[in-house]
Amino acid sequence: MTAVDDLSLAVPQGSIYGFIGPNGSGKTTTMRLIVNIFYPDRGEIRLFGDGRPETSTDLIGYLPEERGLYQKMTVEALLEFYGELRSGHNVTTEVASWLERLGLASRASDKVETLSKGMTQKVQFIATVIPEPKLLILDEPFSGLDPVSAEAIRAAILDLRRRGVTVILSTHDMYLAESLCDYILMIFRGRKVLDGTLSSIQEQYGDDTIRVTADGSFAAVQQLLGVEQIRDLGQVQELRLTRGADPQEVLRALVAQARVTSFSLMKPSLHDIFMRIAGPAAEEANHASA
Amino acid sequence: MRVHKVFTIAKRDYISTVRTKAFVFGLVVAPVLFGGGSIAMSFLKGKPDLKDRHIAIIDHTGVAAEPVVSAVREKNEQELLDKKTHQQIEPRYVFEVIAPAGDPASSKDQLLALSGRVRNKQLAAFIEIGKDALRPPKPTFDSDDFDLGTSNKTDPNTGVSYYTNAGGIDEMRNWLYGPISDGVRLARLARLGIDIQRNPGLTASVRIDGLSLVERDEKTGEVHEARKRSELEGFFVPFAVAMILAMIVMVGSAPMLQSVTQDKSQRIVETLLGAATPFELMSGKVLGSVGVAVTSSLLYVIAGTVAVNALGVAGLLPLTIIPWFYVYLLTDVIMLCAFAAALGACCSTPQDAQNLAIVLLMPCLIPMFTLVTVLRQPNGMLSTIMSLVPPFTPILMLLRQAMPNGVPAWQPWVGLVDVMAFAVGTVWAASRIFRVAILMQGKPPKLAEMVRWAIKG
Repeated sequence: MTAVDDLSLAVPQGSIYGFIGPNGSGKTTTMRLIVNIFYPDRGEIRLFGDGRPETSTDLIGYLPEERGLYQKMTVEALLEFYGELRSGHNVTTEVASWLERLGLASRASDKVETLSKGMTQKVQFIATVIPEPKLLILDEPFSGLDPVSAEAIRAAILDLRRRGVTVILSTHDMYLAESLCDYILMIFRGRKVLDGTLSSIQEQYGDDTIRVTADGSFAAVQQLLGVEQIRDLGQVQELRLTRGADPQEVLRALVAQARVTSFSLMKPSLHDIFMRIAGPAAEEANHASA
Repeated sequence: MRVHKVFTIAKRDYISTVRTKAFVFGLVVAPVLFGGGSIAMSFLKGKPDLKDRHIAIIDHTGVAAEPVVSAVREKNEQELLDKKTHQQIEPRYVFEVIAPAGDPASSKDQLLALSGRVRNKQLAAFIEIGKDALRPPKPTFDSDDFDLGTSNKTDPNTGVSYYTNAGGIDEMRNWLYGPISDGVRLARLARLGIDIQRNPGLTASVRIDGLSLVERDEKTGEVHEARKRSELEGFFVPFAVAMILAMIVMVGSAPMLQSVTQDKSQRIVETLLGAATPFELMSGKVLGSVGVAVTSSLLYVIAGTVAVNALGVAGLLPLTIIPWFYVYLLTDVIMLCAFAAALGACCSTPQDAQNLAIVLLMPCLIPMFTLVTVLRQPNGMLSTIMSLVPPFTPILMLLRQAMPNGVPAWQPWVGLVDVMAFAVGTVWAASRIFRVAILMQGKPPKLAEMVRWAIKG
């Protein structure tokens, strides 16, 4: 079984590089290849210039998707163990600093098994960033986090990026990928299908999306010519134009049918692009062409 | 391989293992279970049942009962009281001589009635001296020492029958064997007209003293006299040394299987693999287990030294065995821990690990099943071959080395080379299986798959 095939990517230093893709597309496998847990059958991985993964793991902080901690250890002892394992030296000061920063200083001497899920995930994050890595690889770092904890981790990631740390993260949250990542890579069925900045990706699709608010809008947009797909967002309708359709014509047709209160022409969202590539419609099209 | 990672993992595993209640419990309970039986036996041996033993005797010869009762009484009187304290330490034997029934039907009824008295605890046993017991049988030299009759087993009339419902090891039967034999012999001699009163000690058994070999001191040239050898030296000490090694190896390596499975099932292992290679991770875990085994061994060796000094049997164990003990201990623990790591990596749940635990302990259990055979014939072909099979070498070769007659000088070295080569091979194969299996979930792989991973990686 091939998990990842013919995948080529370059992560700019000091950037946040987001992996998106459906479950089973190869994101985790790619991360494990970078961390040297898996070895590629073909091709090569170079880190920090010409470094090989096997000689660079001490410079990488890796937070796997399936993560667990030694439940019987105290928070402090556990973090010192992971820090020492990566760095080979004592990391007591850094542990204390990170615990303070993420609001866990008072739980330092408690056993991990006594922590809440959110606290445990913060501890897992700290274990990944002590000592400070040059490359941080986070496999779905926000999954299962409450908004407060998620915000704390998000702030920490941005702070690390400001200090020059390169971050690769995977997420299923398209809004998060749009707002947090400098670069986005989409993997689908083991192959790269998108790679670049958000604007460069959107540029490939052009201004083909209209967001409209109108009285009785859902009924009003149903019969419009030049509209390929309608997405009902509740108060707003998102329309995807067919290739070559004129947005002005669409607006005129809409105004003729209903009272329009807002109309904006925009590039497609990452969510929309994702659905165009990996959604049910794309799946059907793929089956039909096969 | 980055050594600091190996040591960091080893340190964590070591501390987490020795701090568990299971480790402390195992450390204390294993020797208690092992030594407890012996201690209980010696304690109970010191507290015998001192109630009188009533024994009925039917003498079909008409002349043997009296010398038999007399011989029993004589032995009983000699052994009844402790020589120093004058306290009774043996039960008193009380004989009741019963005239034989006249015909076969009455004889059966008589035996039935006496059996009823044994069941009702009025008698401890009854014996029947066959009518031809005074006819000296043709001597044979079979090994059935405690045959109360004679060698002519086909004819009960030529021997003595002993009836009892005592279970287990019948100490009374063993005790009676000597004086009853003596009594019958005396009756035979009297029948031949030999006056036993004028020839005392005629029927006394010959004592055989076990002695070590005579040695010449290489420094002084002086010839040392042979010293008395005890059963402790020939049996107990080698047995204890081999059992201690087996226990420490099992205590040191068994937790590895659970530890690796736990790391895997609790999703800890991928985080560790982000910082260390599979080989570093496995090596660290093996080193931690070696530390646990060495800790156990030091405690056992210290306790053992104190015990043999307290028992006054220090010196029975050749000191040259201690370096071998540690070499075998380390190689055995490394071998089994690597094996356990590979098995643990193939398990997805603690239940899977439990099912495989018996496989892991086989290299310890199989030698333990053969201990008695090896003790009987330490230099026999089976013992030699078994002790040169690498997984069994540590326990069996050490057992043979600890015995007074030792082993040919080349054998421990060949065994050591074998076992070290096998240990290296096990670690190499286990690390390949470990690397492939450690992130797999679901059904454990089949043996053929594991072999393929070990060969092809």
